Amino acid sequence: MIAKTQELTRMYRLGASVIVAVNKVNLEVKEAAFVSIVGPSGSGKTTLLNLIGLNDRPTSGKVFFKSEDTSLLTDKERRKIRLQNIGFVFQTFNLLPTLTALENVELPLALAKVPPKLQREKAIQLLEAVGLSDRLQHRPKELSSGEMQRVAIARALANNPCLILADEPTGELDSETGYEITKLLLSLCRKHKTTVVVATHDERVAKASDVKYSIRDGMIT
Amino acid sequence: MRVTVMCLRNLLRRRFRTSLCIFGVSLATIFIVAVGATTTNYTVVIREMNIFFSGDVVVVAEGAMVIQAFPVAGGNLPVSVVEKVQQVNGVKTAVPMLVRFGYQFETVIQLAPTNVSVGIPPGNWSVLVGNTPLKPGGNWPSPDLGKKEVVVGSSLAKQYDLTVGSEVKMENTNLTVAGILDTRSALLSRSLILPLELAQRLYYGHTMWIGNMVVAQPEEGVTEKEVTDRIEAEILGVEALTTDERNEIVEPLLQDIETWSLGISSVLYLLGMVLVTTVAMINVSERRRDFATLDAIGAPRSSIFRIVVTETTLIGLLGGLAGILLGSIAAILIASFYTNIPLSMFFFDLFNIISPFFMIKILASTVAVSCVAGVIPAIAASRMNISEVLRSEY
Repeated sequence: MIAKTQELTRMYRLGASVIVAVNKVNLEVKEAAFVSIVGPSGSGKTTLLNLIGLNDRPTSGKVFFKSEDTSLLTDKERRKIRLQNIGFVFQTFNLLPTLTALENVELPLALAKVPPKLQREKAIQLLEAVGLSDRLQHRPKELSSGEMQRVAIARALANNPCLILADEPTGELDSETGYEITKLLLSLCRKHKTTVVVATHDERVAKASDVKYSIRDGMIT
Repeated sequence: MRVTVMCLRNLLRRRFRTSLCIFGVSLATIFIVAVGATTTNYTVVIREMNIFFSGDVVVVAEGAMVIQAFPVAGGNLPVSVVEKVQQVNGVKTAVPMLVRFGYQFETVIQLAPTNVSVGIPPGNWSVLVGNTPLKPGGNWPSPDLGKKEVVVGSSLAKQYDLTVGSEVKMENTNLTVAGILDTRSALLSRSLILPLELAQRLYYGHTMWIGNMVVAQPEEGVTEKEVTDRIEAEILGVEALTTDERNEIVEPLLQDIETWSLGISSVLYLLGMVLVTTVAMINVSERRRDFATLDAIGAPRSSIFRIVVTETTLIGLLGGLAGILLGSIAAILIASFYTNIPLSMFFFDLFNIISPFFMIKILASTVAVSCVAGVIPAIAASRMNISEVLRSEY
């Protein structure tokens, strides 16, 4: 078991009202599984991914990461887990605009204090793996949306994480590119036995998944 | 990751804003350097003036304005004063002098208190110059007034290209340079020393006044204070000043100048800090997503903090360097304007106007202030609620 939630709830205060973004969610993510969380916009997918990815703390309930209760962890320990065990892929790619594709992929390696030479080798290898060997020195604004998402995936893989969390990875892409990205994520899961959790409302992604969770109004249905 | 390179690129991405911010910092630094260097030089020169006649009593006409050891304005002394001072119990020697500030060859200028001409009885030169030697080939002025000989300071000689034997014209009189003082003293290097009687004829047109000051050296075992009290009790219309009293006249003024200079610098640093903080806050708020992404991929808070502080520090470094360069030029222009010494002489002597230590101190202060200015934006960036930022971007 890579991740597990127990009665996971996240509420936000918006002015005078309280919004329940995630409501008593129980789910399990097994190793090497391709899991999709499907739901319309505003259903709580991103919040759920942020909770599983330890970017956020629940209002109540628990998130277990590799059987460890993450509610007991300090911020520093949660960052360490994010750096070493979890890779994030965002809908809008979130590449750092002033860094080249190569440097964006090197970034998590540098943060993990990998020696510079190894950083470079690993980053080149990853970018080659996602088909961007000819785009190493390009800045994000010089890349197409599909290429940017590939760089983001390479970055997510940099520290060999056991879990990849992808939030609407095809949301900003055209149908064909979206399909390519889905195939790429799927192949990662199959070839490298990496667990992938995808929040999406793309039916093709959902169909490709091993496990599908539907979420509506913060609740798994 | 090469944080500095990354930060430089971040700054270059917002070129206009960064340039304006650097310009603002450099503007503050220019003023700090120019004001600091000018006041420092001024106070150093004024303080140096009190090295002269240290341990001796200076006698001037009552009501004369004295800056350190020298009367800069006020009355002249009759010839009889020298004899009276000499007769005061406890006075070893009494040497009259005629001191004039602000002369220039051919004309007299008002704004330059640097040039000084001093008339001294021949043979008493050391009372003013101490052990300062003359450059090789030079001699002290002859007592023969017909020769009209003078000694000039090294800076004056350099400015007017004077050598031994050169002629200079003052008060419609041609004077011959007999020697050049080999000195780095701000006052002596700009001085023109001549026999007292020649100075009397040049400035007064007669010898009824002896000059405008008398230097009284106390006998061994007699204090300056005792001599001062006796002179003021026995001779009417004069004021006698001990070394400490002379210091007391200008020290509060110098301290005021230094306090004002420090105050102006502090205000400018504060303004620079506010500017850098504001720009950094804008940068951080525009790059919320970048910082949230760094946070999400596990960057330690210290890394995010470091990025913002490095950026503001770079602004301070670049602004400081530009400010020091331009401020040095401004300080030289100010010095040149107020002393009538050509710019070229200051450029050759830049480090005497603005010491390397002063430059390093200003640069270090500017960098430190910019670094501190980055702290609040850096805290804001490193304590961002990432889930909120990532959620709000869709």
